[in-house]
Amino acid sequence: MRASEILKPLGVFVVVIAVILAGTALVGLLGGSGAAGPADGEEIDGQSPGQFAPENVLATSAPEEGEITVDDGGENKRILVDSAHSNRYSRSDLAPLVEALAQAGHEVDFTPSTAGDGGGFGESSYNATLRGYDAVLIVQPTASFSDAETAGLSAYADGGGRIAVLAEPPQLSVGGGLSAQISEVRFGAQDLTQEFGLRMATQGLYNIEDGGNDNNYESILARPDGSSDLTEGVSNVTFDSAGYVVRTGDNAQIRMRAISGTRTLERRQVGRYPVAAQNDNFVLVADTSFLKSSELYDLDNERFVSNLLEFLVSGDKPDDVPEGSGSSGGQSSP
Amino acid sequence: MVDRSDSTGTTTVLYVIVVVVAVLIGTVLAPVVWSATQASSGDSEEPTVSVVTLRTGTDPGPVNDVKEQLRQARTNDSVEAVVLRIDSPGGAVASSEEFYLAVNRTAAQMPVVAYVEGAAASGGYFGIAPADRIFVKPSSTVGSIGVIVSAPLSTVEQAEAQSKTYLRTGPDKATMEKDQLREEMETLHNAFVDTILKHRGENLSVNRSGVAHGEAYLGPTAVRNGFADDMGDLNSAIEFAATKADGIDGDQYAVDYREPVSPSGGAIVLSKDIEAVDGNVVYVDGTGEKGTEFQDPYEFYAVWGVPVTDDAREVNNESE
Repeated sequence: MRASEILKPLGVFVVVIAVILAGTALVGLLGGSGAAGPADGEEIDGQSPGQFAPENVLATSAPEEGEITVDDGGENKRILVDSAHSNRYSRSDLAPLVEALAQAGHEVDFTPSTAGDGGGFGESSYNATLRGYDAVLIVQPTASFSDAETAGLSAYADGGGRIAVLAEPPQLSVGGGLSAQISEVRFGAQDLTQEFGLRMATQGLYNIEDGGNDNNYESILARPDGSSDLTEGVSNVTFDSAGYVVRTGDNAQIRMRAISGTRTLERRQVGRYPVAAQNDNFVLVADTSFLKSSELYDLDNERFVSNLLEFLVSGDKPDDVPEGSGSSGGQSSP
Repeated sequence: MVDRSDSTGTTTVLYVIVVVVAVLIGTVLAPVVWSATQASSGDSEEPTVSVVTLRTGTDPGPVNDVKEQLRQARTNDSVEAVVLRIDSPGGAVASSEEFYLAVNRTAAQMPVVAYVEGAAASGGYFGIAPADRIFVKPSSTVGSIGVIVSAPLSTVEQAEAQSKTYLRTGPDKATMEKDQLREEMETLHNAFVDTILKHRGENLSVNRSGVAHGEAYLGPTAVRNGFADDMGDLNSAIEFAATKADGIDGDQYAVDYREPVSPSGGAIVLSKDIEAVDGNVVYVDGTGEKGTEFQDPYEFYAVWGVPVTDDAREVNNESE
């Protein structure tokens, strides 16, 4: 037998087995990688999801434009800022308002935090102190006004003095110190505001609808209700911690309402809640947060604040109002 | 002539025999080669449902572990479906988004079914949103869609009032105004809410505002309002996943329980001053003894929880 007679069949034998095994291996490897899905690093649909696109997600803040302006009106008015009723505000928050008033030639005084009988100004009585001012600004008082003070302020407004009360809904406050105690802070001047037919409601507001807030559910939007000096030039304001006012008398007028979709924080009831109201020489706004520097120029807030200051300095109060002593003992008049 | 034709015939028969024998031997050896190629990519032959378990917050360490397990499931031929067993209250937004993207990628390739063992809230729910089906039990907690920002006062209001002087090259370097912080929080919230609506929108009986409220729901409520699909247990999820998988025929499948991803230290979400080992990430006490240590100026969380206060920490320590 020649060598080729053995080698040829042997060669065929080896080639056939090699082809079969190589084919199997190839199918195995290709099939394996084919079923394993896209390799790492390969872009697949859905990994740059539409809901992540900038045009879908980007939130924008309200533009902060405009200035706070007050007309001098030719007269220099004196404005009293109440600090004697455990008021919760910081003087730095009021600084832009004081500055605008000062630029227009008006004078602003802060009452000492311990008032005493005469409001802490060395006067003989609360009414005597009030007589020296054309307007009173009361920001979130948490202590109540005495009957005499309420009567004095009532007579003050009747006689042409302007009063603006800014209030907050009930909220929790964490005290400092080692045992950080949590206490509820409540608006303390319901008796005073009720004298003017208005009360603060006991719930805060929120709005979680798309476009219904300023980037936070608590930062609600409000619009003027009808036209008035207080809302002149205002189309939208934003309040960060708004409550709402309740009318208890017929004389008060609603000046601004929260936009539709706004709800109360506790009962979740939807409604167009009144957030600013006026009764002649008395204004109640159910928020103080718009005074903060981060909110003051949002939307038309600065326009609203300007109008509020204008309201304070445009009264026409005779110097002898309110009459009498209005002592804190409760004897409101001689 | 006769001799020659005989010789040709013999040769032909020889070759036929050689080829037949070769084919037979090749056929015998082929399965060996086949399994060798399959084994080289780490697969077993039986179609498998892989059970991936996350029992901690959706923070970077645990999420990285889960991502790796999901990647292995995607690249393993025998894995035909994934069951995500989850008990997570969420965590940082950045890693919660990673979790979502990894699950979304896996769900594009094979059935993914979620079983909510404890909670799948906030970032935890972000991750399971792309699942084909979500199984819950009465005590499962799902939902809590929303974002919390945690920023030290030095970021927002007291950038200038530091106990140490530090100078910054620009007014916005490592500080932020409250307005801006809320704007960014709202942006992340939009991405989160719209992801939930994209994947669950057809099931949900609540609208976008309802989702944005951020409420957490117990299992039965979640089945009613569409945050979950069915009451069930882990086996319900595995069985459903097997039914949905193309490569699984009847009950001919294996279940592969991957190593559960759970906290190996006392990690508490939102608390940074406790030293903790969490997955692959080691959190260390942020208050160094010397030198200046920096903390993130702000951090966004998709979490179902409230910041741990000193009081709460005392209580926790006492109860341990």
